Amino acid sequence: MALTAGLLAISLLPRVQGNVALTRSFWGAAALLLAWTVVLAVSARKWNWKPSLVLAPPRAQHYIQSLCHLTIYAYWGWYWRPVYDFAPLIVAQLLFAYAFDMLLSWSRREAYVLGFGPFPIIFSTNLFLWFKDDWFSLQFLLVAVGFAGKAFVRWERDGKRVHIFNPSAFTLALFALVLLATGTTSITWGQEIATTFGLGPRIYAVLFLTGLVVMYFFAITPVTVAAAATLFGASALYAAVTGVPYFVDSEIPSAVFLGLHLLVTDPSTSPRTPFGRAIFGVLYGLGVFALYAILGALGLPTFYDKLLCVPLLNLAVPGIDRWVRAIGDRPILKRLALNGPLGRGNLAHMTAWVILFGAMTTLGATDGRHRGDALPFWEEACAANRPRACERLLRIEASYCADNAGWACNELGRHYVEGRLVPADEARAFGYFARACEGRFQAGCVNLLDSATPSVANPRAIDLRLLVREGGPNLLEMPEPELYARACSHGWSFACGKASASR
Amino acid sequence: MWEGIGLPVRALTWIGTAMVVVSLTAWPAIGQGGAGSLPDLVEIPGGPFVMGADAARDPLAYDNERWSRAAGEAAVDVPLFYIARHEVTVAQFSAFVRATSWKADPQAAAGPPSHPVTFVTWPDALAYCRWLEAMLNGSPDTPPQLRQRLKEGWRVSLPTEAEWEKAARGTDRRTYPWGNEPRRDRANYENTATTPVGQFACPECPYGLADMSGNVWEWTSSPSQPYPYDLSDDRANLDADALWVMRGGHYGDGPRNVRTTTRGAADPGARRAFIGFRVAVHLTASPASSR
Repeated sequence: MALTAGLLAISLLPRVQGNVALTRSFWGAAALLLAWTVVLAVSARKWNWKPSLVLAPPRAQHYIQSLCHLTIYAYWGWYWRPVYDFAPLIVAQLLFAYAFDMLLSWSRREAYVLGFGPFPIIFSTNLFLWFKDDWFSLQFLLVAVGFAGKAFVRWERDGKRVHIFNPSAFTLALFALVLLATGTTSITWGQEIATTFGLGPRIYAVLFLTGLVVMYFFAITPVTVAAAATLFGASALYAAVTGVPYFVDSEIPSAVFLGLHLLVTDPSTSPRTPFGRAIFGVLYGLGVFALYAILGALGLPTFYDKLLCVPLLNLAVPGIDRWVRAIGDRPILKRLALNGPLGRGNLAHMTAWVILFGAMTTLGATDGRHRGDALPFWEEACAANRPRACERLLRIEASYCADNAGWACNELGRHYVEGRLVPADEARAFGYFARACEGRFQAGCVNLLDSATPSVANPRAIDLRLLVREGGPNLLEMPEPELYARACSHGWSFACGKASASR
Repeated sequence: MWEGIGLPVRALTWIGTAMVVVSLTAWPAIGQGGAGSLPDLVEIPGGPFVMGADAARDPLAYDNERWSRAAGEAAVDVPLFYIARHEVTVAQFSAFVRATSWKADPQAAAGPPSHPVTFVTWPDALAYCRWLEAMLNGSPDTPPQLRQRLKEGWRVSLPTEAEWEKAARGTDRRTYPWGNEPRRDRANYENTATTPVGQFACPECPYGLADMSGNVWEWTSSPSQPYPYDLSDDRANLDADALWVMRGGHYGDGPRNVRTTTRGAADPGARRAFIGFRVAVHLTASPASSR
């Protein structure tokens, strides 16, 4: 009852009251919990049964992971304020999760073990998917499905009855499938979450350092190292063969990098041996790599790549464990410290991870500039018919146009007039030129008057503040000489002259 | 034409009304003059007119109306074109929004149907022109003369700045469409809101156009550039931030801003309660392309 009251209290905050649908979703969730409580109370009285609660000692697995999550939220929110604005809604989900989990346990006539368990589940879920305010009732459903999955989808493992799926990854994957199947991704902030994650200037370093804490305590290092190495290796191989990066502006997208630290690393649903965990990591890396291509080819949002394969991997865990046992102790495993029980060799694995991350950073695969950040690179790659380069150029331009870079809208309009990269579509071209013009990009306005031979112009300083941001925040404060120098280094030749002239 | 024309105007006497009718029929027009779906287009003959103004002749002239250091005004030769007798109304613009998926500001359709549409951006105005051209091309009611023009490559668009000024002041250098003195019985200015298009009769106006002074500023297809006006319409400067000329002043302006030579300019994305447009049909000049 106290948790339900807490939920109702949060619904009185201006953040919630500002949206009718959001307020109603809170009231709906509270009404559900209240009704369930009443039914349970009547049933307990009738059967003379008393719900009980057991206080569990705090488990490092829960509170350390939660603190790591909070660190990420704090850093991410510093660069993308909606995260801080969302905080009351995360607290509400926590209250709902505790109440739901408690009522579920009591409904099954089990004592509720009160600990920090719901914290990492709620925190990790919200690092990947939020429903928009108008659809927030589905966020409560997302939480409920996660906890129901944890309670009901279980199997026998090493003589213990345990849950099969990583609770947050299970519900995320399930909802991702439904959103993809119904084409309703736009009711979530999923895309924004995936793209704003990189706004923090050293997000890879922050994730790496936070991840080290988790690795130190929970021996999940082989999962992360193997997944990162697989993705990095596969990306590098693709780039070597095709001449263009696999992931547009990174070797491992920052949101995927987060996933391989804090989503796929639930110790309870991972294999029992270091070697098994390494295989688990390799499979995750391959899964993400393949899903990125599949989703892209189907024209679906690619950010679901990191979510969809986790439940399948969870199902594969017993098989991986069996296979590892069948292989037995091999000298190579011993040399890699992958034999023996968990924990042994963890420091060695962490050292390997530090070296790998250092190498990736040195090669420009983490923070800092990536060659895929430069639009001229994609223009040239498209002109040279590199695989998928034109499709990516269009996608990048569409993304910048959506952010009101007039230059990008005008380029898109031009493509739809010329019909070379996309089928000619006069109406769409007009729409893009209109958007460019409303952004005061003069060539866009001129094209509205006559687009027979589309007018083009170089990006203005206001456009460059978006176009050369390298995945970070808009460069609104950057002095023009520095802005043009950066644009020059991206391959905008016109900017080189402006940079030297302004010095 | 459209909904506005032909509405009885309270302030007019029968004599005044008769003068309006005479005025409206004095110039060759194509299109429907009633409340039909086609614009009432007035033919403006080709030939020179005097563009610009300076304080020596017109004490109210702004600096940006002066042609050059050497001359306050100059003759500009404008080829024949057609211009709508009235500003586009809320009803007409709403019909366009309903017929297309164009995302306009909801306020644009919220005003009284016979009033000029406002809260329209420059691209909104051009999108309307584009739709209207398609309508005219497809409609059996399009007058043969207009149909022929469209076949020859004439386009429905916004008037250029020179076209607008010629249509407003004619060839005799008028300060206001009706003469050289401000008259509040001829245009909607120094007021608090728009009025139905064509409410103010202007029998003295050179081509019988309504609301060329006041009611709403009207978008033109000319970018804002200092004079002298370039016949190619100054569209070659693609590096400058876009600003487009609007003409005519609005209901809230004083007499200075509703003169035929007053030049306003606005951000093409501006949606304001005092900016609207009227359409023109002309042979378009090809803009320059450069990078």
